[in-house]
Amino acid sequence: MQASTVLSKRITARPFLRYLLLISLATATPVFAAEQAQAFTLPGRDQPVSLTALRGKVVYVDFWASWCIPCRKSFPWMNSLQKRYADQGLVIVAVNLDKTRELSDHFLSEVPAELTIAYDPEGKVASAYKVKGMPSSYLIDRAGRIHSSHIGFREETAADMEVAIKALLQHP
Amino acid sequence: MQLNDKASIRRALAAATCTLLGSASQTSHAEGGDEKWRVDTSVLYYSEQDRVTVVEPVVFLRKTTGEDSFVNFRLIYDTMSGASANGATPTNTPQTFTSASGTSTYTTPAGKIPLHDFSDQRVAVAVEWDKPVDHLSRAIYGINASTENDYRSIGLSATRLREFNNKLTTLTIGISGSYDSVMPIGGAPTPMQLMSSVVPPPPGGEDDEGESGKTKLVTDAIVGITQVLTRRALTQFNYSIGYSSGYLTDPYKVVSVIDATGATIDYRFESRPDTRLRQSLYWKTAYHFDHDVMHFAYRYYWDDWGIHAHTADLHYRMELWKGAYLQPHLRYSTQTAANFYTYSLLNSSPVPAYASADYRLGELTTTTYGLKLGVPVGRTSEINLRVESITQSGNGYPADAIGIQKNYDLFPTINTTVVQITYTGHF
Amino acid sequence: MLARPLFILLTLLALPACTLTPVQPWDRDLLAEEKMQLIPDPVENFIDEHIYFSKEGASGGQGVGGGGCGCN
Repeated sequence: MQASTVLSKRITARPFLRYLLLISLATATPVFAAEQAQAFTLPGRDQPVSLTALRGKVVYVDFWASWCIPCRKSFPWMNSLQKRYADQGLVIVAVNLDKTRELSDHFLSEVPAELTIAYDPEGKVASAYKVKGMPSSYLIDRAGRIHSSHIGFREETAADMEVAIKALLQHP
Repeated sequence: MQLNDKASIRRALAAATCTLLGSASQTSHAEGGDEKWRVDTSVLYYSEQDRVTVVEPVVFLRKTTGEDSFVNFRLIYDTMSGASANGATPTNTPQTFTSASGTSTYTTPAGKIPLHDFSDQRVAVAVEWDKPVDHLSRAIYGINASTENDYRSIGLSATRLREFNNKLTTLTIGISGSYDSVMPIGGAPTPMQLMSSVVPPPPGGEDDEGESGKTKLVTDAIVGITQVLTRRALTQFNYSIGYSSGYLTDPYKVVSVIDATGATIDYRFESRPDTRLRQSLYWKTAYHFDHDVMHFAYRYYWDDWGIHAHTADLHYRMELWKGAYLQPHLRYSTQTAANFYTYSLLNSSPVPAYASADYRLGELTTTTYGLKLGVPVGRTSEINLRVESITQSGNGYPADAIGIQKNYDLFPTINTTVVQITYTGHF
Repeated sequence: MLARPLFILLTLLALPACTLTPVQPWDRDLLAEEKMQLIPDPVENFIDEHIYFSKEGASGGQGVGGGGCGCN
């Protein structure tokens, strides 16, 4: 009995840890310890994009640029997320850091984005958010607090991010 | 021969603009990024005036095997033919030379720089695995091998890169080793042996393939730092050290033995030490102007054979219309002679332990002017053509030339033309 | 004889620690271009290394990776 308990504990340790991780992601133990996300207003494709106007939504802010290969790979995933969770209150804001509009337009003509695009060519908002690598993403809850942040884009970790987003969307 | 693991290293060193792991993936291509293959096929035409001609097709393949992993494959075939200087000096009478086993001879007319004809084919392959180790490190492992008529080589290499400082600084450490064997055609001579003492074999005797059993071990290590300086500038400093041991002599080269009048009376087969310790300091910077890009490199080299060399290299890429470019190239290199380098040996002097008259170990200046034109093909490919002119010169009239020697240029200038055409494609 | 190059190397090693304002991740657009790699054309670089290895007494400096030829 003891041996098999030990054995079963070892076998189930991994999914258990994952569950713990999930719980902690979903509850208030984020990287920034419930820091309020910096407000910003940036030009958008049709109209300005303001973070405070999105209070009450779950906002996924992604900093990207046309010359960043992993950014290119993240767009189809972000498009899919936006489509599936828009009605639950998810808004993805993709903040572009290209120096010229021409570069980002060229990118978007090849990789269409059903997302809100905001332009930060001087990197002012990126500085405020202390972006450390490209791409960088920040998951913001309905109360405007940074829940978690992530540098880079990989298919494996994307799935975990989706789990965290779903959990935040549950909260009113 | 120095192959370059740095070719893959530099991708990682593009200073991980991106992800935790994404440094190499960033540099796959500015467009696309979904391509799994990169192919470079190239043909080189190399011709030394009146001497060696080489035609060399080359294929480089790189496959993206994972999110940030690559495999590089390289295949080279070269055919060499023509003549190269055998180290003897020109003199006022025709000269006859024999191979170490005495099975073949060749002659040079009076007043001409003695050249040895040869023809050879070489095949070389290399494979490299380039992958992330953790979110800040990469490892590159390589294996290479080559074979030609009288030479075989097999080698391994391993390089590790680690990023610091928010990926603005990269530390590189690499080591490699190769095991080479030489099977000289016509046999390996006894060092410093007089050519007049070579006895041809009896008729029906040994063939010309010569003995095997001459080997050498070459090891190298490098430590380097790459640093992002500004948005436009990237720089790298490397220190390299290498140690070669074994048969380092050129079995086909001789040194003229002269008498007091400066007339050539005999030859000795050359002899080089059986170890060599080489070191270098290398610095390179890439700088991005508004559209153009400049690369400048400087190397200081020194070894325990007494050779010190300074080499400076400049490439300036001028952007033309979209994707097309013109790139002038300048290279200047100057080296001191090896301490056992000599133009010739005086018969009345004691025989030294080591001596070589190979111009490549002498006091030498190499100047290169080149121009490259690149033209895009479609969205993801390019064809480029480059032409280079290389001039190598030294002192043909040394102060200690004796008698008849003063009438001849003992270090003729060698002019080489290089033409290379390359196609690079991403699929 | 060794002291001087070693001194230069140590000074250069101190470089990363020093003065220049660190480049922000979003300012690495130019560095990402293929032509800004330290070896932008691997085939050309390989061929040139081979040419100068077989024509001169000095060699290497950029990397390791063996491969011999009977050319020097």
